[in-house]
Amino acid sequence: MPERVLLTIGTKKGLFVAEAPKSRGKFALRGPFGSGVAVYATLTDTRGKPRMYGSSCNAFFGMKILRSTDLGKTFHETKSAPAFPKDDGRALANIWSLEPGDDERDLWCGVEPASLFKSQDGGDSWELAPGISNHEHARKWQPGNGGLCLHTILRDGDRMHLGISTGGHYLSEDGGKTFAPSNKGIGVGFAPDPFPEFGQCVHKIARHPDAPGRLYLQNHGGFPERPGIGVLRSDDHGRTWRSIAKGLPSDFGFPIVVHPHGADTVYVLPLEPMTRTCPGGVPAVWRSENGGESWKRLTTGFPKKETYFTVLRDAMDVDELKEPALYFGTTTGQLWMGRDGGEKWSCLFDSLPPVNNVKVAVV
Amino acid sequence: MALAAVVTIHLPSALRKYCSGASDLSVPAHTVRAALEQLGRDHPSLYRNICDETGSVRRHLNVFVNSSHVRDLDGLDTALAPGDVVTILAAVSGG
Repeated sequence: MPERVLLTIGTKKGLFVAEAPKSRGKFALRGPFGSGVAVYATLTDTRGKPRMYGSSCNAFFGMKILRSTDLGKTFHETKSAPAFPKDDGRALANIWSLEPGDDERDLWCGVEPASLFKSQDGGDSWELAPGISNHEHARKWQPGNGGLCLHTILRDGDRMHLGISTGGHYLSEDGGKTFAPSNKGIGVGFAPDPFPEFGQCVHKIARHPDAPGRLYLQNHGGFPERPGIGVLRSDDHGRTWRSIAKGLPSDFGFPIVVHPHGADTVYVLPLEPMTRTCPGGVPAVWRSENGGESWKRLTTGFPKKETYFTVLRDAMDVDELKEPALYFGTTTGQLWMGRDGGEKWSCLFDSLPPVNNVKVAVV
Repeated sequence: MALAAVVTIHLPSALRKYCSGASDLSVPAHTVRAALEQLGRDHPSLYRNICDETGSVRRHLNVFVNSSHVRDLDGLDTALAPGDVVTILAAVSGG
């Protein structure tokens, strides 16, 4: 079977799939699946026979998980979606992340209100992971503007990193059974204590799979009185964090992405903190090739003025081809691709519904 | 205890796929709550679309008994009489 690049695009109005040959010459778009319903999480699971997933977050009829076994030509609801136990008192409000587990049919799912679920049958049934969902801090976390969401799940053997807004970074070292807050160096600008034990508004965490000790974190920055807390790095599996924001036009942003072939290369998309749009109306992705010590502004192909889009936390990704391309979607419905590691940008689609999520897989 | 009244639950088109395409279901129930709980036993997927894990009717759904909204009656404890029609409708909202 020839390799193809598959984008899953979660939007306010449903799930789209864009497909192109490895050359990425032209992407064909299909969808929307789960029409009219917002999608915040997507996943193309390439273990075994590829499966695609999308969360269908229906404000009227509740949350669903959509699954495709034909590379995104059709999607069907799984038999059930994550749900809290009846006596828990919480009700599922949104589904924010879907990640592969250990076995081929294992999945992890992060939801709002911030909790974690596990499936062992490809999404047909779900079980609450109590170590984080019933953590003693769980009832103390506060929702950010996007809701109280568990949006990032990163795994490295028995180590599991979770990103919660606003709960912070939580680390498990026993396969997700127990968790502890691990936020030393992650600041906040919205509480008197600049470095609390937990409660940070972490926007996204990323890492390279071959360098699990190195993590990058886009935090809620943009506070003039507490500069530099927005873009961070850890070199000890997330136990401590330090700022790498120097040289960026803003330390506020949502996504953070690591190059697939080098743990030192990381991408952010800084936004002006008050409007959460491109600083000065000029879009730019910023790349560091030395772990955040310095940054380069990438703008080739973007408009030079009068552009004020927003890119949300899960709306940027990078493919794994030899010369990787980045992709991001905007809340104004554009889907951009940056060839050669972000050197040359072009707009693939310019009138999609507002984009919440973009993930890419080479299948 | 008297036999429960048999009432009709009328469903919006978006939910009929969860009960083999039926637009109306007959259930025995003394109250709206009991009618929904009966739905949960007979059609669990359908029930999950109407009520969340806590048993509350989802925020953007409205429940009527005949032509009255249950919020103007006794909520989910509204008593049902034989032949009543319980209508589930999605609210007008969105963007």
